[in-house]
Amino acid sequence: MRFSLLLPGLLAGLLACQPQSKPAATPATVVVHDDLGRTLTLLAHPRRVVSLAPSLTEILYAVADTATIIARTQADDYPAAVLRKPVVNSYPLDLERLVALHPDVVFTVEGLTPLDAAERLRQLGIPVYYQKYRRVADVLRGINDVGRLLGRSAQAHRLTDSLQQQLQLLVSPIKTTGKPLAVLALASADPIYVYGQNTLFTDEIRLAGGQNAVRDTFPQPFPALTREYVLKLNPEVLLGGRFGKMDSTFFKNNPELRRTSAYQRRRVYATTPNLLQRPSPRIVEAVRELQKVLKNN
Amino acid sequence: MVKHYPGRWLLAGSLLTLLLLGLGLRVGSYATDYAFIWKTLRHYDATDPAQLALIELRLPRLLLAWLAGASLALSGYLLQNLVNNPLADPYLLGTASGASLGAIVAYIFFPALTLGGLYLPPLAALAGGLGATLLVVAIGSRRGRLQAAPLLLGGVAVGALAAAVGSLITFLAADQDSLRTVVFWAFGSFERAGWAVLPYPTGILAVSLGLLVFLQKDLNLLLLGEERAQALGLPVVRLRWLMLALVSALTGGVVALCGPVGFVGLVVPHLTRGLLGATGRLNLAFCAVLGGGFLLACDLLARLLHPPAGLPVGLVTALLGVPFFVYLLKKAVS
Repeated sequence: MRFSLLLPGLLAGLLACQPQSKPAATPATVVVHDDLGRTLTLLAHPRRVVSLAPSLTEILYAVADTATIIARTQADDYPAAVLRKPVVNSYPLDLERLVALHPDVVFTVEGLTPLDAAERLRQLGIPVYYQKYRRVADVLRGINDVGRLLGRSAQAHRLTDSLQQQLQLLVSPIKTTGKPLAVLALASADPIYVYGQNTLFTDEIRLAGGQNAVRDTFPQPFPALTREYVLKLNPEVLLGGRFGKMDSTFFKNNPELRRTSAYQRRRVYATTPNLLQRPSPRIVEAVRELQKVLKNN
Repeated sequence: MVKHYPGRWLLAGSLLTLLLLGLGLRVGSYATDYAFIWKTLRHYDATDPAQLALIELRLPRLLLAWLAGASLALSGYLLQNLVNNPLADPYLLGTASGASLGAIVAYIFFPALTLGGLYLPPLAALAGGLGATLLVVAIGSRRGRLQAAPLLLGGVAVGALAAAVGSLITFLAADQDSLRTVVFWAFGSFERAGWAVLPYPTGILAVSLGLLVFLQKDLNLLLLGEERAQALGLPVVRLRWLMLALVSALTGGVVALCGPVGFVGLVVPHLTRGLLGATGRLNLAFCAVLGGGFLLACDLLARLLHPPAGLPVGLVTALLGVPFFVYLLKKAVS
């Protein structure tokens, strides 16, 4: 009881000890909403930024002044220059290290950083900005948002205009002859997890001229499927590894799937690691790669 | 004297198993009615994908679920008799955790999963299960006799150690694919089923049941306590080794293929003794049939509740098993 009476006095004393020498020039702030609708107060010109998602790290490298990127996560591997930055573990999140770096803003993607961790960071004075993407266009919008928040709109727009142009060039020559090929993309071969209808892959493969073989929408973005379900889907193209490797592993463990059209016609391909699932500026590259796979047929 | 009807119960359990098998054959991505199943069973046409799914996927899956349930229930029954303690099950005595560790080692360090034509996970799990059980027995015995308290505590400790080492290996695994395999294997599933892997659990169960037919009387004698059983001329030490080997093999084969599926080994033996008495002559057979039926029902429920891949079967066994187990306990106390 007595302590609670003392507390305001103590606090006042502590506050009085704050250095008063410099006149407190409060930096300009802006109030923004992230893609999850959360309200954040950011510095108008953040000088220290961190991304907790490999895709957003790629976006930062394409848009931000690279000197303002103060760290990377253990999962970041692109562009190669990122490997020189100090590492903050994103899973499990190394809160202490992150706080010690005192970033002005942390960027992340929905689902990669727990909301309660973001709330704790906010209480510690570090705003966490979430992005989410359902379609390729969302990624371009996300790049522009990052540019705007970092005061580098010009750079961002230059990038997204160029990406948009490349996409148009890629998509326009596709002739709509016949049904688009049904493509199943494996996220994991054992157990079988696939890119579901509500992943970015659905839009990427559509732009490339195919279609996601998974037509049902599951609550999970990467649903687990049974072997019977895959057999019934009968995908025409399978993405998950080179034919020879898949033949000796995936199809050896699941011999009944050798009946699928993809196996019968040897339309089984590997994709560049970390390209399909990253909503980064390389998204056009992903569409181009998918288109190349489809053109092989 | 309560009158038991072991023959009738065994018949009822077998009929229930057949019923569940019949129902289970219909659950899957392809719509199949009984006319279609009958047609497939009589004239199997492997070029029809729906028939292929029925024979190559659904049937082995159901059989694996049944075999897993039977093996785990039997393991639990044997362990409870062996240590003369109703708490014992393959999880409490560290056998299952040891088997899990063996399987994890196989999945992480031998991603090809075969060595010289042998399918490794069941063998590694057997070795792990046997190793852990031996360690627990060593901890739990004083001058060649098993002591209940040190044995159970040793089981918990060794189980925790095996689980920790398994988690450490998984955590440090650099290869994302093996990591995923182990994490999801640990949820428990019968998706690995296929005619190629079924011989392992089938062989182990058949050999165990065959041996136990001759040992049923000896097992019942063990319930009198080791000293009295020995005084009656029972080769207690030899019998104990044989049973530990059987339990490790039964548990190992299942854990390697289906993941650590809990609670069957605890609930089903209790139910068996409740229905047939502690020393019934059909106890072992009924325990196996009931365990098989229980896991068949759990798998069916798991796939109906969350299609297509189903809930992890280990969750369903616990969700169904725990309330039932508590009910049994309350009933026994009152």
